Amino acid sequence: MRILRGALLLGGLALLACGLVGLLTDPYVTGPLGVLLWAAGLVALHDGLWLPLVCALGAAATGRPVLRGWLVVTAAVGAVAVPAVLRAGDDHGNPTLLPLPYLRNWLLFLVASATAAALVAAVRRGVRQGFGRAGRARRAGRARRAGR
Amino acid sequence: MDPDPSPARRRLDPPLPAPPAALRRGPFRPGAFRSPAHGPRTAVVLGRWLGAALLLCFATGLVSHLLQDPPSWLAGRLPSRPVNGYRLSQGLHVVAGLAAIPLAGAKLWTVYPRLFAWPPARSVLHLLERLSIALLVAAVLLELFTGLLNTLQWYPWPFPFRQTHYWTAWTAVGALLVHLAVKAPEIAAHWRRTRSAPLPAPLPGRPTGRPTERPTERRAVLAATAAAVGAVTLTTAGQSVPWLRSLDLFAPRRPGSGSGTGTDSLPVNRTAAQAGTTAVPADWLLAVDGPGGYRIGLAELRALPQTTAVLPIACVEGWSADARWTGVRLADLLRRAGVPAGSTVRITSLEADGPYRVTEMPAAYADDPLTLLALALDGRPLTPDHGFPARVVAPNRPGVLQTKWVARIEAV
Repeated sequence: MRILRGALLLGGLALLACGLVGLLTDPYVTGPLGVLLWAAGLVALHDGLWLPLVCALGAAATGRPVLRGWLVVTAAVGAVAVPAVLRAGDDHGNPTLLPLPYLRNWLLFLVASATAAALVAAVRRGVRQGFGRAGRARRAGRARRAGR
Repeated sequence: MDPDPSPARRRLDPPLPAPPAALRRGPFRPGAFRSPAHGPRTAVVLGRWLGAALLLCFATGLVSHLLQDPPSWLAGRLPSRPVNGYRLSQGLHVVAGLAAIPLAGAKLWTVYPRLFAWPPARSVLHLLERLSIALLVAAVLLELFTGLLNTLQWYPWPFPFRQTHYWTAWTAVGALLVHLAVKAPEIAAHWRRTRSAPLPAPLPGRPTGRPTERPTERRAVLAATAAAVGAVTLTTAGQSVPWLRSLDLFAPRRPGSGSGTGTDSLPVNRTAAQAGTTAVPADWLLAVDGPGGYRIGLAELRALPQTTAVLPIACVEGWSADARWTGVRLADLLRRAGVPAGSTVRITSLEADGPYRVTEMPAAYADDPLTLLALALDGRPLTPDHGFPARVVAPNRPGVLQTKWVARIEAV
């Protein structure tokens, strides 16, 4: 374990240094500061804006696992779909780039996944209530038998 | 880390003073994060999935880089088979990269409370470890963001995509290995779901004595993440996996959609208008240079023995599609010019500029009987966007190296 950890640490530091030196010395990367600023900006947006929003939404949906699951799936698909929606039509004169109706597809996905989630939630509620009724009936039966 | 380190440890890793407790507000408060799924077992399970996706991206990315820009010792050893090798490896690169988006999101959500650990840095080593994690997160976010936008040919940043994506990948994998080395004991403790495993260490800011992680909450988070990965993959992978094409809703390319140039449905990376090659000179002649070099026109090329081959165009952006190419074997053209087998070949395009105007083709590709100077696609003459009057198409090669609008072929 100790040797493996040491090897991982040294190898990792070597690759990390290789990447940073490459970034600083690559003749095509003329402004490494721009790379740093974009990376820092992404971290700031993700940790300072996006995750607080996720936590707030998650807290608002406490005890509703299907709603939470739907929000997670929608956020993930949105991450790849929304850039395409925003960029649709901007194809530099190349009609084979972004050829699909992305906004329509995104709305279609939202509706279809929301419907599926609502169905799952309804089935879960039905199953729970069914179990609840069955449990009450069993308890009542036991009580009647005990009273006799 | 030890709460009360030995004197030797203190010398090697000097402790840092804790900031005033009055600053411990907002997310730094104990108990600020209430979901029980923010625990180490969730982090280990998600970390395994994300780690696998990132390492797959790194390996396939290296393959793509080496195929495009081989160092001299490797250039002569690149294989031209399997025909669909690059298609598979680059398709996996983009599929795994897109799957890593929800995985990274879930992993970062799980460990978010640790961002607000108190005190922020206990010692110099702890500070360095946290900085390495900042570097890891920054590098991974930059890789996923630039990779995703590159598939849309969207470049809002001031730096070149390819070189930045390449070097940041080394940085990310290096920081990932450092992270694994630092966290190894914790990863090992939570690798398996066992009842006898020690209880997870209390999260920073979480009151002790409370169960940190309930399995149902954890399973809900893992199930939602798995569903998200599945949904992202199914709605985008159709650009590289033909049998998923009907589910493709959001991929930036759609091979076979027919909404392309009108004459066929094979996407193009660069149009003739973009390359400035819409009008090919009427007196176009292909130059084949060698000991017995010659120039040859389109009609004469069409009169030479023709070969038809089904070869994929596989783009670095992840999409790929098979097409039926007809033309003259490149090896036949080279032998006619007296270029011996085993020669590396340089191919020059009519396009005025662009990083792939002049490319080199190692001998294994140039001599492959499937490598064509294609004149027709699906039985029809090439359109300008597909490289009229003639283009190169070879097996197991990145699309950017399948030079269009060929003007000159010569031995290096």
